[in-house]
Formats: sequence, C-alpha cells, structure tokens
Amino acid sequence: MTTWIDASCILIVFLALTMLATYRIVGIIKIFAAQSFVLGLTPFFLHADGLTIRDIVIAMGTIVLKTAFVPFVLLWAMRHVSMRSEIKPIIGLGTSIVFGAMIIAGAFWVSLSLHLPGKPISDLMLPCSLSTVLLGFLIMVTRTRAVTQVLGYLVMENGIFLFTLSLFDVMPTLIEMGILLDIFVAVFIMAIIVNHINDEFERSPASVSRSKMGEAF
Amino acid sequence: MVSDVYLFIFNISISVENEMMMLILIILHWLIALLLSPFLLGVISKVKAFFAGRVGPSLFQPYYDLSKLFQKSAVYSQTTTWVFRAAPVVALASALLLVLVIPLGGLDAPLKFQGDIFLVAYILALARFFMIAASFDTGFSMEAMGASREAFFACLSELVLFMNFITLALLTRSISLSQMIGADSPLSWSHLGPTLLLVVASLFVVLLAENCRIPIDDPDTHLELTMIHEVMILDHSGVDLAYMTYAAALKFLIFATVLVPILSGWTGVFIKDMSIYITGLLGLAIVVGIVESSMARLRLNRVRNLLLIAFVLAFFGFIVTMWRG
Repeated sequence: MTTWIDASCILIVFLALTMLATYRIVGIIKIFAAQSFVLGLTPFFLHADGLTIRDIVIAMGTIVLKTAFVPFVLLWAMRHVSMRSEIKPIIGLGTSIVFGAMIIAGAFWVSLSLHLPGKPISDLMLPCSLSTVLLGFLIMVTRTRAVTQVLGYLVMENGIFLFTLSLFDVMPTLIEMGILLDIFVAVFIMAIIVNHINDEFERSPASVSRSKMGEAF
Repeated sequence: MVSDVYLFIFNISISVENEMMMLILIILHWLIALLLSPFLLGVISKVKAFFAGRVGPSLFQPYYDLSKLFQKSAVYSQTTTWVFRAAPVVALASALLLVLVIPLGGLDAPLKFQGDIFLVAYILALARFFMIAASFDTGFSMEAMGASREAFFACLSELVLFMNFITLALLTRSISLSQMIGADSPLSWSHLGPTLLLVVASLFVVLLAENCRIPIDDPDTHLELTMIHEVMILDHSGVDLAYMTYAAALKFLIFATVLVPILSGWTGVFIKDMSIYITGLLGLAIVVGIVESSMARLRLNRVRNLLLIAFVLAFFGFIVTMWRG
C-alpha cells in the first residue's frame, strides 16, 4: 500500500506542476479535478485495512465536491461571463516551471528538518504536501485572473489536506469539514462576484464590450 | 582483432576464446535491431491509420520503402560538399554503434564499461551535429531553420536524458547502461514504483522529442515552416535518404530499448526476456501511435515547455531518490 500512497503523492505534485504549464483555464480546471480525485483516493490507501463507513462517506463526499461540484461551478462561471480561456501570467510559463522545480527542491529540503509527531505512513507525504501548497501559492501569485487565483487557492487546500492526512492516523474529519466549508464559500463568492460584475457591465455603456470584460477575470 | 580494438579504445581486455562469442553477439545485435526497427515504424503508422478509420499501409511498408530507396542512386546538388555526403553515413554508423552499447532483450551488450552512458549521449550528439552541418551545407534556408530547431530541442532533451541517467545511476549505483537496464539491474517496481514512474514519464517525452514524433514534430507533415527532422533530410535522396531513414528507425528502437526494461524488468530466462522485450517494443510503438493520433502537434514555442516539464519530472525523480537515500 505504501507504493500506492507514494504514487498518489507524486501524482498530486505532478498534476500541480502541469497546472503551472497549462495555458487554458479550462485545462487547469480539469487538471484540478483529476488532482482532487487522486487526493480523494489517498485515504482509501491509507486506511486500507480498517475502512469504516464514516471514512468512506467522507472520502466520497470530498471526491464528489472537489472533482464534480467545484469544477462545475468554475466552468459555469467561466461560461457565464464568456471570459477568455487564456491565463494571464505575470511571469512566463517556462520560468514558472523552473520556479516549480526549485519549490519542490526547497520543500524536500525543508522537510528534512521537520519532525512531526507520530509515525509517518509514507515519508513522501510531508514533502509532497509542502510542495503542493507552495505550487498552489505560486499559481496564485503569478496568475492575474480571478479564476486562476481561486484555482491556486484550491491547489493550496489540496496540499493542506494531504498534510493533515500525513499528521493524523484517522480521517481528519473536523479539519476537512472546515476546509471544505472555506472552499465552498470561496468558490461561491467568486462565482457570485464574477456574475455581479458581469451584470454591472451589462448595464454600462456599450463601449465596454463583453469580450473586453472577460479579460478582467 | 576485436579484442585489439577494445584494448586500444576502452582499455578493456577480453580473452581470445571470448572473441568469437563477442562477434556472434555483435552480429546478433545488429540483426535484431536492423530487422525490427522498421517494423516499429510500420506499427505506429498502422495504429494511426486505425484511429483515423483507414486501413493504412502494410506493416511492412517501411521495409518496401527502404529497399526501394536502397536501389536508387543519390542526387547531389553542386553547392554541397563532402559534409553533406558524410552525414547519412555518420548517422547510420552512430546508430549501429549505439545498438551495441544497449542490452537487447536477454542479450548482453557487447560494448559495456563504466561510463558508457556518456558515450550514448555524445554519439547521439555526433550524429546530430553531422545532420545539422549537412543541412547547413545545402544552403537552403528552410533546412537551416529546421536545423536550428533540432539543435534547440536537442539541448533540452539531452538535459532531460542526463537527469534521468543520474537518477538511474543513483538507483543502480552504476554508470554503465548495461547495469542500469541490463539483466542484473536491481530496478524493481515494487520498491521504486513512484520514482520509476517519473523516470518513465520523462524518458517517454525524450523518446517523442528525439524521434521527432507528435506532439514535438509531425513526421508526416511536409510544410517546410513547421517540420524539424523531415526538413533536415529534404535534400538527401536515394541511398543517402535510406541511410537517414534507417538511422531514424534505429534511434526509435534504441530509445524504446532503454524504456522497456525499466517498465518490465528481466526474468533471467533468455526466451522469456526476448519475448517480453519484443512485446514491450510493440506496446511502446502502439502507445506512441495512440499519442500521435490523439494529440495535435504543439506550437513550436510550447515544445520548450513540454521538455521543461519533462526535465522537472526527471529532477523530481532525482530529488525523491536523494530523499530516499
């Protein structure tokens, strides 16, 4: 089972990296869905021997919410304001990828001196979760669109979830619930704001064209 | 004779009774590689035809093409010099030399010594240098453009290749390709699964890049502005073109041969290993065919990002290896 956990940790970081190298927001949303799916499966590998109904329900809830609902809302928001699907990065994609490599190296280096209580199930979980958090942060600060910033935040949250998984022996229900609530609120607020701004623009003079407006988000 | 050459170049001595075995091994290596490599290209085009809903050319079409080209004589432009004529020979010779460094299936590599991974990288670079020089030699600006792209992408893919070699060297504690991917390689998926996943993924991108397949380059396109490999051999004809095509086919086989043992591992039984190897090659050709039919060629300025991602994957694999100690 450790191999599976390791593989999913690595896949999560890899998918966060591919998000850094993707041009289209729709592509990033899809990759995020895939990453959340892998993350949702990780608790099953962690507690393969003693799965309770509660664990399964919470894990399934996480999967449904993060791989279906959140991407759906984001895609809906994108369609609704007919925004352009290209990201607007502050630094080039090549540079972001190289920064991503540095961040991974840094996360592994920092993990060397972090000693967590309890026995870790896999030694890759801590550095991989740190890498994911930092990669999410990188996405957030280097992409200017509202949707991409929310996506960066979501990736960060995925990293935090992985981190809590490595800390606790059981499914960290309370923490996960709190985080899920945060995401819920974040995505909703984003969708509502985007929608409202759109409505405002709708009423504004025709000089602000729809296509122009899309660039703001 | 063979042993003398070995002594001279690589400072490795082999006894006289081994000399005969060595010769047989070399000939077997060449036979397998030369017979198998065009078939893989046939498989790729068959898979592509299948996905396009066509019957497609026969699996043996590359052999027919090659035999037709071998019967024709080459035409040389008056502006070209000996460099242009040397390139096909160097390309094929270096591909044949590379085949000897790599263990094929259950067969040991005839040429092995500590550090032969550097030989692999630099022989690849030598062949590429001559091809680029030949394309400059024609004085055709489109070919020079293709050569410049080839040089740029090759720089990046060589970086990725070396990063992967470093990871494999750390895992196997050896810098000889025979020990990295040969019969006694200690690589196993049950222990090193995640790291090998990264190595395989990035080596696969290198395979696509080095062999000019989609998404890096489209081998079927004939638009001078976008092609890379095809535009470089545009002026070669007849036997020269056959050499170039054969060298390209061998190069695909060589990269696939590096990838297959990492994926499958060896059993130690010759027949089993050989069948695993050939199945692996065919499987890889099918995967490449599927990738080619499901993707479009990337815009030229985005190829760099793909190769950078492959590099980061290899680098990630290296970090995980270091982390595990």
